[in-house]
This record gives sequence, C-alpha cells and structure tokens, in this order.
Amino acid sequence: MPDHKDIFSPELDKDRGSLHPINHMKDSIMSLLTSFGFEIIDGPEIETEEFNFDMLNIKKSHPARQMHDTFYVENKSNLLRTHTSPVQIRGMLEKKPPLAFISGGKVYRKDDDATHLPMFHQVEGIYVDENVSFAQLKDLIYKIIHSLFGDDVELRFRPSYFPFTEPSAEVDILSKEGKWLEILGCGLVNPVVLENCNIDSKKFSGLAFGLGIERIAMLKHGVTDIREFYKSNLDFLSQFK
Amino acid sequence: MKIAYRHLVQHIEESPTIENISNKLFQLGHEHEIDGDIFDMEFTPNRGDCLSINGLLRDLAVFYTVDLNHEVFTEKLNELQLDFENLSENICPIISFLKLEIDQVPETYKNSLDNYFTDLGLNKNNFFTDLSNYLSYETGQPTHCYDASLMSGKLLFHEIEKNEEFETLLDKKIALTGKNSVFSLNDNVINLAGIVGGKSTSCSNNTKTVIVECAFFQPEAIIGKSVKYDIQSEASHKFERFVDPECHDKVLRRFIKLVSDHANIKDMSIISYKSKDNPTHQIPINVKKINQIIGINISEKEYLNYLSKLGFVVEEGLIKVPSFRSDIKRQNDLAEEIARVIGYDNIATSKISIPNNESTNHKAIENKLRFFLLDNGFYEVINSPFVSLSSEEAIKVDNPLDSNREYLRTNITNSLVENLLFNERRQKDSIKLFEISDIYSSHNGINKKRMLSIIASGRVGENYKDFSKKINKKYLVMLFQEILPNEVFDFKIVSRELLDTKIKNEIVSLEVDINSFSSDILSYKEVSQSPEGFAQYSLISDFPASFKDISYSIKDYSKTQELQDLLLNYQCDIIKNIYIFDYFKNEKQEEIKIGFRFTFQSKKATLNSAEIELVYNDIVSKSLNISGISIPGM
Repeated sequence: MPDHKDIFSPELDKDRGSLHPINHMKDSIMSLLTSFGFEIIDGPEIETEEFNFDMLNIKKSHPARQMHDTFYVENKSNLLRTHTSPVQIRGMLEKKPPLAFISGGKVYRKDDDATHLPMFHQVEGIYVDENVSFAQLKDLIYKIIHSLFGDDVELRFRPSYFPFTEPSAEVDILSKEGKWLEILGCGLVNPVVLENCNIDSKKFSGLAFGLGIERIAMLKHGVTDIREFYKSNLDFLSQFK
Repeated sequence: MKIAYRHLVQHIEESPTIENISNKLFQLGHEHEIDGDIFDMEFTPNRGDCLSINGLLRDLAVFYTVDLNHEVFTEKLNELQLDFENLSENICPIISFLKLEIDQVPETYKNSLDNYFTDLGLNKNNFFTDLSNYLSYETGQPTHCYDASLMSGKLLFHEIEKNEEFETLLDKKIALTGKNSVFSLNDNVINLAGIVGGKSTSCSNNTKTVIVECAFFQPEAIIGKSVKYDIQSEASHKFERFVDPECHDKVLRRFIKLVSDHANIKDMSIISYKSKDNPTHQIPINVKKINQIIGINISEKEYLNYLSKLGFVVEEGLIKVPSFRSDIKRQNDLAEEIARVIGYDNIATSKISIPNNESTNHKAIENKLRFFLLDNGFYEVINSPFVSLSSEEAIKVDNPLDSNREYLRTNITNSLVENLLFNERRQKDSIKLFEISDIYSSHNGINKKRMLSIIASGRVGENYKDFSKKINKKYLVMLFQEILPNEVFDFKIVSRELLDTKIKNEIVSLEVDINSFSSDILSYKEVSQSPEGFAQYSLISDFPASFKDISYSIKDYSKTQELQDLLLNYQCDIIKNIYIFDYFKNEKQEEIKIGFRFTFQSKKATLNSAEIELVYNDIVSKSLNISGISIPGM
C-alpha cells in the first residue's frame, strides 16, 4: 500500500457512481423550469379517479379510463396516476392565482411493448394568471426546447387534443436526419378545469405543458430501446457519469 | 383511416396537389402519412366528424372552394311500416330505417362506388353492404343493411344484460356478457349496436330487398365494446367518436341515389324515430375574447368569415355550432378553430414573464444522500413497482398486465437483489446500487413512504486500494458513520441460500425511510456532480467478457508514469476497461510492483483466446519496450 510520501504511486482513481439518466434528465428539466419561475410541487402516485380524470375534464366515457388503459387498485377505489396533472389540480385547489407549478415523477399506463412501458416519467407545468395567451405559451415552449436542444433546433406546433387544454398543441422538433419528432404536449388550460379548481375562468387563464422524460432522454443520449433504462445494467448506467 | 387523394381533390375547385393538401391537413391538426396517392389519416378523438370524405372536405373548405353537394334522391318518400320498438331511447335517441327493393343485383359498380374499392384496394362483399361501407366513407355515417327477407317479426332496440352467443356477419362467434345495446328479432340478437351486425340477417349477393338502419348511438354506450369483443369495426370507431345526429335523411337519400345508379328500384319507403330534438349549440360572438386567448388581433369580420367557411352559422349575435361538431362548446373551442386556420406556427410569440416563486429545495436531504452514495461508487437505479409476491399489506392491482405483476412492491430491496444478480450474471464483481422511491402499502387506508434502499456486494472498488477489499456489513456501517456518526442504521445481510447464484460474496442491504435521516447529512460536501451534458450512449455488448491481469516489476521508478500512460490509454476495439488493481513499493528491494487488469469484450461476437492473445501480446511487447520494466515470470 503506498504511503503519502510515495510520489510514484498512481493517482487513486476512486470509483464514482452515476445518477440514473432518467432522474438526471428529470432534474435537469425541473431545474430549468424553476429558473423560469416555476415552483416544484409533489403528489401521490396512487390517485383517485376524481383527481386523475374528473377534475381534468376527462369524461367517464373517455377511452383512457378503461381497464385496458389505466391500472386500477384496491377494487377500483383508486388508480395509478396516468399523468402528473392531478398534482397540478391539488396545487390549484390549495393556492390562488397567479400560480406556476411544475411536478415530475412516475406515471403508469397499461402498455408494455418495445416503445411503451407500464411505468414512465413525466414533467408537467402549469401557469395561471390574468390574460395568459397561446402566444405566451409558444414563447415558453420555445425557451424550453431551445434550452434542451439548442437555439438552432427547428420546431413546429401542431393542433392536437387533450381534454384538459383548449386550444391544445403537440410540439415536434426536426431531427438531424430530417424527421419530425414529437417532444411535448401543451395548451391553454381548459376553462372547465379552472372552474373545477374554483378559479374564475373569466378572470384567469392558464397554460400547461407536459414532457415525457424517457423520450427526451432517448434523444439526448441516443438510446434507441426504452427498456434499457430499466434493466439496471451497470454497463448501461456507467455510461452516464 | 385511409382516404384517397383523388376522392378529395375531385370536390376541390382549385385542384391542389397532394403535397398542398397534406400541408393544409397538418396545419389543421390532421396527422397523416402518404402512401402513394392515399392519405393514411390519424384523427384526434374529438374529431369524429372528420372520419369521411365529406368531413375532411368541410375542414379543407376554409382553404379551398369545396363542392360538398353530392347528388341525392329528392322526391317524396313513402312511410315505411315497420314493426319496431326502441326500448333504450336514451342510448339511441334518433334512428331511421329505409326499405328498398331492386329488380336485379348489379354485377359491376360505377363511378365513385367503383373507385372506392379500386383506389383503396378493398374487397367487395355484396351490393348493399358495399354501398353501406362506401356511404360511411363518403358521409361518415355508418349504416347497417339487413336482408329484408330474413326480417320477419318484431325488431327491438334495447340494452340487455344476459350471457348470449352472437355470430357476427364476419363469421366470428362472440359470447355477449354484461350490458350490451343490441337489436333483437324474435328474442334473438341480430346486431350488436354500433359495433357489428349479425350473420343471421346479413345481406348476401342474392339480396334484393334491404332494410337500411341509420342510427345515432350515444358514444358512452359504444366505447369499450369493440375492445371487449376484439372487433375492430369502422362503425364502432365512428360511433365512439360521435356521428352527426342530424344527417339521416340526407344519408339515406344519398343511399337511394347510389342504388338507382346501379339498379332499378321497385319499391322504397322510409321512417325516422326521434325521441328528442338535438338542440343547436350557440355561443356569443366575442372576437375580443378570441384575440385574448390566442394572443392575436384579428377583426370580427375576418373571424366570422373563418367560422362561416367551417360550417358555423352566425345569426343575431350568436354563433350556431353545426350538428356535426360535438366538440365545440365554448369560446376556447372557437379560439382553437381560429388558431388552426391561421396556423399554430403562424401565430407570433408573445414574451412571457412568470413571477418568481420562492424556490425551496424540498428534497435537499434526498439529494445529499444521492451524491454521498455516488461519491462512494453507488449507481442509481429505477425499478418497476409491479411484483408477483404479496405481503399482507401489498396493494393489489385490479387489472395487472400479468400474474407476475399483480401487486405493488412493499419494499425496494427485493428489486435491488434482482438487479444485483442480473449484474453478477454479467460478470460484474463490484456491485453497489441504490434506489429512492415512494412505496405504498395498505393498512387502514393507503400509506405512502419515501424510502432509500441500497445493496452492495463484491469488491469495494476497481482500484488498487479497494480491489482486494470485499464489501461487508462493517464496510457499509463505517461508510455511513463517517457522515452520520449519531445515527444507527439497520444493515442486513441478504442470504444467498434461496438465490439462483453460485457466487458467495456477502450481500449487504439497507432500506430506510428518507424522513428518518437527520439534517446532519446536509453538511456533507459531495465530490460528484450532476453531469453537465448528456453522454452519448454506446451499445452494450451481450457477449461474455474475459479478464487478463499483467503485473510489472519496475526498477526505475521514473518509468512508472510512462507505463501508466501507455497502458491506461491503450486503444483497442475489444478492450472495454483497464485499471490498476495492484500497487506496491518495496523499498528494501528498490522495486515497484504494479498490476493492470484488462477487460476484453467484443460487441460483435464471443472472443476466442487467439483474438485476446493477439492484443495481449501487443500490450506486453509495447510495455517491455520501456527500459527498466519487466514482467516477473515472463
């Protein structure tokens, strides 16, 4: 064993571990969003239908509520949240506007194939204030995407549909290979959702957005199979120091 | 849904190219791919009104001059005498029937009917079914055709709740269970409403007299049934997404016209049942609100012009929503219409400024623990919460993916044991993992705890200081005592007895509630940092690794660094890892002994000994070129 006087002893290359790439990506995005003024809030992964669906204007007949799409637990008394949006509902019920929340974490959907997993991660944000517009939402999304993928990245907004936002949009970025890749969903908070949270929708409007962490991590790290993230393979994890 | 370009463009005066239409469809939010001259459309679930040629044309009318007036039969029709009763008007508030007899079944099809099958490469069934399918494609309204000669008795529409076998017109037998909306004839189900018709009354190539059913079903009564019975029908796809409740007369008159294009009609009659009126939804004109929602400044004239082109009617200060647009209910919905027409990408951004909120690091302790563990060589993992084994307090998933994932885990350690064994099987001899996760249990309600779990086994580290040390309970206790001397942790030895492994290294684990850590951890000064960038992943090899150790004797101490520089920077495709596993300076013998471990692994194949020897010999040869260095025993 070398002593401290041994000037020839090799540098002690002490092993360091690594953060999980999904958590690292989640933390990076949350950190970016807090720098924009968002406050982090947390909520449970086991939710009620009321918070996961009803409050978000997702009707009883919506396919997402079917047993083949959502995991229900304890004789259907609760469910595994299908998105992090219920956390924002809880936040809006607790605080009055103006408010700006982000929440991130695990969500669950009844999928299991090469491109979908029953558990994945989301970061979602909401900002409610007077006169929040779609044009402002676009400004925010540009800031997020440019921070994540660089100022040169080309992006496009496409009309889409989410029961909890209206208008709704999906945002794609142009890959180096010239292919449009879907990155996030966003929109103006549906006034029904604001009213459900006792917020006067005539006075206040809001914007909301949600990002799938795995998708962005796959793009940023060049991982092509989503399942690699969850094999706990040290050969994989050690690449993300 | 597949839609042929030429079926669209023949109704558009400007004759736009397929690329031009494609761009406009994207702008309107209608995703699609183009295969030859076919648009493969994927509509959002709120736009059931677009699931047809007419539906798409109604949207495209905002950009082009579109002719939506298909020829229809316009003369007066006799009232059909039908023995029908609707016992579930809440599910089917509007329904119409057309009875029609032709003199001869046509052998070939004309015009648009023929183009439909040719252009989309579809198989024909029989005349009336084919016509029904085409009409659904053209108008968006599914209809069902019964062979009238097989329809004697009282026809009922009702919701039943009994187990019954039903044979579809596609020869598939399904067992009806639970509540189902059906049409019955003489107490036998002949049609699973909105999903698929039955074989017993279906049309054939000999059918000359048909009863066409044209209905509006509440989407709630249809949703889930096609999945339940594994029947992917075009009709259910449309009914689930809402069809136009006011289109029946026009659709059935179009049906008559298309029949008359192909055969002589001997007799026909029609009847409609409407249990309640479908009120027109009206929204006040408020362009100021629209401008505020989108963040633009358009005039009221421009605003109303756009809506008019989309089929909205403006009367007495109100915007009347057309019956086919069930998705439009309030100002935000109208704002989306305008934003689509303008184009989301054409809306200028407006600077956003979010008032700064007080940011509190509510996970400070958790994050300190993460970096403390990183500093000591632990890797963070994330595991699925679904497990097969249950403890009494485990929460059961009502609808698991399979029996191996029936419960939510009540601890993290079991997942980490699996991770450890996985890595041992991949020849890892130093394994240190941790996971932080919410854990749920059921005991007087649902309980949540945020837990840290760690597991470790094998060598303490891959460096000359830690190589020969084995991870044990004492090692981990001391590790934590260094930073948290006042706290006691319940480290456990995981028995290997029931594990599928022959490795004997001690497995040490800890599972502890994050909230039980004191704030003392906050004074820990971490060395590790979050990566600044995002490393590019390199494909992992699944082929076995081989290890080679080389131990050197160095008499000229000054050559130690030169040897390290040579070996630690040695580049070769099949060398995965190099580190110094041994270092000893023997002052008496004036000699340094230094050992290097090389891990050989290919991404393409299992390496043979010759391939490894070739590289090994090169390493030896190059290293022995350094004077004053030898390999004992060589």
